[in-house]
This record gives sequence, structure tokens and C-alpha cells, in this order.
Amino acid sequence: MSNRRKFLLPLAIVAVLLIAMFPTGPYAASLISWMAIGALMASSMRFVLLFGELNFAVAAFVGIGAYTAGMATTEYQIVFPLAILLAGLAAAFVSFFFGFITLKVKGPYFKLIGFAFAEVVRICYSQSDTLGGNSGIIGVFPPLALDPWMTFFVVSFAVVILLGLYAVERSDFGKLLLAIKENDDVVRTVGINVHWIKILCFVLASFVAGLAGSLQAFVNNVISPADFGFMLSVFALAYLKVGGEDSPLGPVAGSIVLVGLGSIALTFGAGEHIFYGAAIALAVLFFPKGMIGFAKDTVGKWRDRGATNTTAVAATQKGEA
Amino acid sequence: MQNFIQISLVSLQIGAVYILFSLGLTLIFGVMKIINFAHGQVFTLSAIIVAVMLPMLTGWGWSPPVAFAASAVVALLSSVSLGFVMFQYGFRFYQRNLVGSFILSLGFVLLLEGIYLDVFGGQVRSIPPLITGTVDVFGAPMTTQRLVLCVAAIVFTLILYFALAKTRTGKALRAASIDHEAAMLQGIPYERIALQGFLIAALLAGVAGILIAPTSAVTTTIGTDYLLKGFIAVIIGGLGSVPGAIVGSLFVAFIEGFGGFYFDPSGASIAVFVLVMVVLVVRPKGLMGNV
Repeated sequence: MSNRRKFLLPLAIVAVLLIAMFPTGPYAASLISWMAIGALMASSMRFVLLFGELNFAVAAFVGIGAYTAGMATTEYQIVFPLAILLAGLAAAFVSFFFGFITLKVKGPYFKLIGFAFAEVVRICYSQSDTLGGNSGIIGVFPPLALDPWMTFFVVSFAVVILLGLYAVERSDFGKLLLAIKENDDVVRTVGINVHWIKILCFVLASFVAGLAGSLQAFVNNVISPADFGFMLSVFALAYLKVGGEDSPLGPVAGSIVLVGLGSIALTFGAGEHIFYGAAIALAVLFFPKGMIGFAKDTVGKWRDRGATNTTAVAATQKGEA
Repeated sequence: MQNFIQISLVSLQIGAVYILFSLGLTLIFGVMKIINFAHGQVFTLSAIIVAVMLPMLTGWGWSPPVAFAASAVVALLSSVSLGFVMFQYGFRFYQRNLVGSFILSLGFVLLLEGIYLDVFGGQVRSIPPLITGTVDVFGAPMTTQRLVLCVAAIVFTLILYFALAKTRTGKALRAASIDHEAAMLQGIPYERIALQGFLIAALLAGVAGILIAPTSAVTTTIGTDYLLKGFIAVIIGGLGSVPGAIVGSLFVAFIEGFGGFYFDPSGASIAVFVLVMVVLVVRPKGLMGNV
């Protein structure tokens, strides 16, 4: 199993990067970038879910990242890589203060305060004249030399970040997060400061959300407050739920499928909202573990039946990756 | 002084609508331990039905009060039916499952918002005033319509408060929200109480929608603004607490009213949010929360 996975994962990454290198048109290029950005946002949300809290403020941090990158590029002419880094740092900085106060509360209170924060931050953008008010910031372009490579850059950047998050999740720190999710009192009794661990995890996740926001600003070239309302958090949650939250591949799969299907739904003229709403409701009601969980269960059932047809199993695994 | 009374009365009217709205949220949370984001959509449905039907009926030559009453009845029936559908085909399976129910309710939000947009269109609707004229309240001029709505909202809140305190169903609801297992041991049929609580909450959202339709511009997304305020009110007051929801709603409405007058409306929204953060620091479970 683990041998095959070691072989499959780099193969999948190379395949994705190859696809990203040769998009068939500008729309396809944007679509691939949106999938990668969606995967980053959903993974940021999943990372906070590791210690058991649903982070609804993720839209606020994506927005802060996008606005930081936008301001840095259009107002201050800061170079592209630095602008992206600044976006992540700004989101992490704000999330530290927000997390310090709100991570003392748990469950429903944390969700609701995140929802409120996302909306309040959105109001702040639309009221600020320096940030362009309701019309936002236009002309956030990546450097000219990078333009033909933008999709490739976004996808490979996302892959690197996701691998980084996966490494953290597999580390001792990640195990600590799972322990907090299971029973935070036990973690406290061995002398670990649960509050600070949560803050660290939250800040790291928000850093990723900020990076995702900066990529979105550079891909779309235009940002406005309406892009970063709490609906963005809902979309991230949809990717996470439909893909499956138990696996790090879940947010990626969910983002690819939903962004892809969503773009098709738009061409039918069907409402985007109805589509996403139905996708979430159906996924929760019928596939509570998401696509990845469903695929794993199906593969498990085949094994139990004693099927030794390994090629079929490998084929489904390739399909799920 | 005139300004003070006027703002207070307006805040009281808005606050009463927030109370009706957040009482629904807190009831649902108390009894079923779920957060229903789609509560705002129930409210929207009722408000938009009034905003669509009223001009239509008056166009047919109905007198405005009769037309209002008729559209209010339709709006209430639709909100309760919507509540029933959401409970029966969704939330029933997710009681006491915070994350699952929350996500399901988000699905409902998107679905309903898309459907409303398709059915009713995106335009802003406002109803011409039903009752014209102004009255003096302690020397402050106030439109009669606003005063009537204010009184109506307060009356509904009082009725609900006493119903929860005195009637059998109200007592059962409160018992189930404090400790549902102990309540079941006392012979309270939890499943039925959960449905009743959900329907009462939908009814309250419907009433709030009817009361807000005549005084503000109605769009298909109006529910989200009220949802935000309603949630802030219940966080301040404490999830699941009825007096908490009332106190929290009045807090939010008065800060908005006075902040909006002396500063600007968005500044008031930010002030409300800062207040929530302060409450969370001092009392993480809200002013009157016990969950």
C-alpha cells in the first residue's frame, strides 16, 4: 500500500503540473488556477478542523491576503514574490489577534464569531477609500515575464504549500492537534499549553489562506469586497465536505470537482448558488465522508470480497487522486 | 432630546424584530443543539412574499389593510411550511450534531437563495406606506406606521415570552433546552418538542419578516444581514438563553441606532462586533449562557 502510494503521489503531481502547463485557452487557464486556489482555501479550513474547530473566518483572511497583495502591487510597486509573502504575513498577523481572543471559546461560539468577523472585515473594505471602497482594486497584474506561466506557477505553488501542510500534519505537532480534538483536557494535564498550540495552528492556516488570497488577486487581476464575504467560507466548506475532510486530498478533490462542475453549471444558466447548495446538502446527507471517504470505503469493500484484481484497485486509486 | 426619543423608538422597533429573529435561533439551538443558518431564509421568504403580494393585491382593488392581512397570512403559512420541510427532510437527522447540521443549513441557505433569486428576481422592492401620517411621541415626530409596527413587535415578543414561561409547551421547550435527557425522563416527548420548537422558530422568523417588509427595502438577500445581527445578539446573550437573546438584541439595536446616528452605519456594525469580542473575553459563554 505505502509503496504504491509513494509511487502514485509524485506521478499525480507531475500529471497535474503537465496539465497546468498547457491549458487550452484563457478560460481553462483561469479555471485550473481557481481549482488550485480553492484547494488551498479548503485545506486551510481543514487544517484548523484538525483540532476540531470549523474556521468560518477563512474568507476574511483570504480577503486580507488579496487586498494586501493588491495594495502592494498597485500602490507601492512591491515585487511579485514579496507581495505574495506579505499577503500571507498580513493574514497571519491579523489572525494572531483574532485567534488569541476567540480560540478561548469553542464550538458554536467560534463558528459564529468567525462568520461575524468575515462580514465585518468585508464591511471595512467597502468603507475604506484607500482600498477602493465598493469597487475594490483593479489592475493587480503579475510580472509580464510570468504571464504565460501563471497557471503553472499557481498550481505548483499550491502543490508545494499543500505538501508543506501535509508534512506539518504528519509531524508531532499534527499529532498534538489531533489529541486536542479528541480531548483537550488530557493534553492540558501533560503540561502543554493548548491555547497557544491552537493559536499557532490557526495562524499557520491563515497564512495559507492569505497566500491563496494573493494568488486570487493576481489571477483575477480585480478584487472587490463582494468576493470576500462569508459565502467564500461556504464555498471552501463545500469543497472540503464534498471532497472529504478525513484525507488531505479531500479538499483538492472537492475543489477540482466543484469548481469544474460549477463552471459547467454556469453555462447552463442554472444558478451557481442552487448548484453549490444542492451539492453540499446531498454530500452531507448521502456521502458524509465525502468523495475520498466514499472511494476508500468502496475499495475496502472490494478487498473484503477477496478480489485480488489489483489492477482494478490501482485504477480506482488513480481515479481518486 | 427629540433625537434621543426618536432614535430610541426606532431602535426599539428594530430591536423587537431582532428579538423575534434571535429567539428563533436560540430556541432551535436550545432544543436541538444545532445552528440553523437557513433561519434567515425563512425570514426572507416571509418578507418577500409580503413585498410581492401587497402591491399585487392592492392593484386588484383590495384595501391596503385587508391586502396586508391576506399577504401576512400567506407569508406565515409559507414560512412555517418551509420550516417543516427543512426539519422533516434535513435537520431531523442531524439533531445534536453541530457540524453536520451547520453544513446542511449552509446547503439550504445557498439552495434557497438561488431559488428566491430565480423566482422573485434581484430587484429591490419597497412597499408604499400602509398607514400615513405622523404622531408625536413625547415631543418627537414619528411616522404612525413605524409606531404601529413597533407596538406590534413588542406585543409579539411579550406573548412569546409569557407563552414560554406559562404554557405547557413552553415549559416543555425550556426543559428540553436545559437538559433533554432529564426532560425525556419526565415524560416530555423530545422528538415532538423538537419539531414544535423548530416550527415556532420558523413562525417567529415569519412574523419578523412581515414586520420588516413595510419599513425597509426587501431583496432576496435581506436575511443575511439579519442573520448576522441575530447571531451577534445570541452570542452576546448566550446561546440557548431566552432572556439572553432579548438583552442581546436590544444591545445590538441600540448600538446600531445611536452609533448609526452619531457616527455612520458601518462604524456601528464594527462597534457591535468589537462589543462581541469584549463580551467573549469577559464571559466566553455570553452574558446569560449556560451551554
